Amino acid sequence: MASISLRSLVRPSLPVAPRIQPIIAAFSTTSLVSAAAPPAIKSRKDLPKKTKKTYKKKQNIVPVKKPGPGERKAFRKRIQLSNNSALPVAGLDKLEAQTMARAESGGRMFAVPDEVVDRLRALEAFKSTQTWNLFRKPHVLVRKETVELMSRLEASVEKKEAFKCVLTGSRLSGKSLMLLQAMSYALLNEWVVIHIPEGQDLTNGNTEYSPVPDTEPMQFTQPVYCLKLLQNIYKANKAVLEKTPLKQDWTRLSATLKPGSTLADLALSAKESEFAWPTLSALWTELTLPGQPPVLFALDGLAHINKVSAYRDPAFNPVHAHELLLVRTFVDALSGKTKLPNGGAVIAATSENNTHKHPSQELALSQLEAGQAGKPVPQPDPYERKYDDRVYDALKNSTVMRLEGVSKDEARVLMEYWGASGMLRSVLDSRVVAEKWALGGHGIVGEMERASLMTMRV
Amino acid sequence: MATIATGLRHAKCAGSTAAAQWRSAMLPRSSFTLAIRSITSDSHKTTTPPSLEAEAAASVPIPYQGITHARVVPATPSYFSREPQFNDLYIGISKLLTKYNHLPTVPPSEAPQMPWTKLEEMRAQMGEPIKASHYAKVMRVAKRLNLIEPSLRPQEVKVALTEFTRDINPFLNMPNPITIDKFGRAVGVGKRKESTARAFVVEGTGEVLVNGKTLSEAFGRVHDRESAVWALTATQRLDKYNVWALVEGGGTTGQAEAITLAVAKALVAHEPALKPALRRAGCITRDPRTVERKKHGHVKARKMPAWVKR
Repeated sequence: MASISLRSLVRPSLPVAPRIQPIIAAFSTTSLVSAAAPPAIKSRKDLPKKTKKTYKKKQNIVPVKKPGPGERKAFRKRIQLSNNSALPVAGLDKLEAQTMARAESGGRMFAVPDEVVDRLRALEAFKSTQTWNLFRKPHVLVRKETVELMSRLEASVEKKEAFKCVLTGSRLSGKSLMLLQAMSYALLNEWVVIHIPEGQDLTNGNTEYSPVPDTEPMQFTQPVYCLKLLQNIYKANKAVLEKTPLKQDWTRLSATLKPGSTLADLALSAKESEFAWPTLSALWTELTLPGQPPVLFALDGLAHINKVSAYRDPAFNPVHAHELLLVRTFVDALSGKTKLPNGGAVIAATSENNTHKHPSQELALSQLEAGQAGKPVPQPDPYERKYDDRVYDALKNSTVMRLEGVSKDEARVLMEYWGASGMLRSVLDSRVVAEKWALGGHGIVGEMERASLMTMRV
Repeated sequence: MATIATGLRHAKCAGSTAAAQWRSAMLPRSSFTLAIRSITSDSHKTTTPPSLEAEAAASVPIPYQGITHARVVPATPSYFSREPQFNDLYIGISKLLTKYNHLPTVPPSEAPQMPWTKLEEMRAQMGEPIKASHYAKVMRVAKRLNLIEPSLRPQEVKVALTEFTRDINPFLNMPNPITIDKFGRAVGVGKRKESTARAFVVEGTGEVLVNGKTLSEAFGRVHDRESAVWALTATQRLDKYNVWALVEGGGTTGQAEAITLAVAKALVAHEPALKPALRRAGCITRDPRTVERKKHGHVKARKMPAWVKR
């Protein structure tokens, strides 16, 4: 009926022929009782199939709320720095400005002060793979190598020149933790700390990039990453930045910057990502002027910034990571091209878990190490074609510091701390220490933790 | 046992026949003949009658003169038994036991280990259907004779016991003892599954290198690391020795447990008193389990192909 009325509305002029339906009378006068007849059987396929009878009860499926996008990753990557089930450890000193640089602190545990913990957290110095979540409060072991590194940092301020260092060593040996200790030393001594927690984030193509006009070869900035980095720098170094005035005129970046403004104002002036790189570069320029506080520039995952990145230029050629301006800033500082006239340090740590085969970097590091030890310098493999000279140039002026296992005395101190926290339940004597030391590959701290804290004993 | 008892009764009356004659005549069985004692049948021929009375007396033969037994008697009392050679053996050592019963004995744990002949072997050797129960009784006597204090053991006991032993003594087949060389190293070899390990153990401070790598580099699993040094951990010696191990073949578990055995053997060379402790810790016995072979008609060792309807 509706169709007829619609049709009449659309075309009122056309006559509508009424449909003639033949009326077929039923032969039978009784109404249809059964439903339609079963389909005709034409082949074997139409035969009724035997169904297997199941005795399983149907499970009552309750709809479960799935975690939202990003929730799982956030849970996986969360940093938990305390554990209320662990016992508080009394009688350990707090880290102070010069504690880690003193030789007598070697082989002792120290508590990281709370305000430093917050600032380290802002710098993303804690890693989710480290076992902070087993203990009540973050404590660190000051090992022999720590004292050595910190005294080098101390000397760099006196000499007013940068200490350039690459931390390397076997897996789980504490390279990232050494970086964390260097950062806490710098924070306690009122340095400005800049930290790139994962070199991989800069080169694997997961953050936006934009070309810098009029550069040959073309260079790129990473605005979103730079904005986040600026905010982290501000959060971690707020106190120092607020009392350091600007030395140059940066009014072209932001109208709010007056001649009397501080570095904090400069860092805060970038509200949009397109101003992030100019602001970060301005901040770096300010920090490399004489009379400013010393700087610690740290990066974890060195192999990732020494390779050809996942980015492409407009001609679709691969972009070398050193053409990314943030990476280039770090590499220039590491190679000594950028001087730090106030002292400070540039520290890069290699990663053994998250790395790839990198012959150029391995060769450069082994050559540097042999040169430091006065051993014959290893020669490049003549059958290897693709040694990267830029990697060699980036690393050639740095010091290589190799981290391996801790000594048995240090292992004992560490295990006493574990025992005091209630994590290690066996009696602690020299035999147990020697056992865990051997199981942990001659004192590799992470492996010792695996063998003694993270292995379920039933 | 009735036959043996009968044999013993005969042995009482005929002393000389008790010697085992069957054994010497064992190999040429066909040429074996009954050793029948002489029954003098010519006595009536040789007599000459000197007188009538005497002739009359002589004409009446006196029966059974010079005859001890009414019938032919076999040389050995075992003749009528089912297992004559075996029976002779039994008679022989039973007599020895009677003879030397007074000699002092040692407890069974201190008696010399003998490779006793097994029942099947003895049946094959003698060609007789020896009953297991008889064999057990004989061996009980032989083992009792073996308990006689070795320094006081008579020669004939020793000779008699060789009849009950195999020719090859597997107990003499001992591995060469591991020595400690001039550098203080003891080398042990261990195997498990497809892996073979050699461990060089020296006194030291608890450093362990496997194929030149530390434990954590060599084994990813903590359990495997603990297995590799279990011989030292179980005896509380981990901080007293250094281990330098070479291992090849197999997978990680096999390699780790091969190192366990190798380290244990080398450790026993340093401190033999640790052997019982190591045995209790399971570091002495080689685990004989290996991969079961694949069979034809099967997909793997046991797995059968899935059933298919035509």
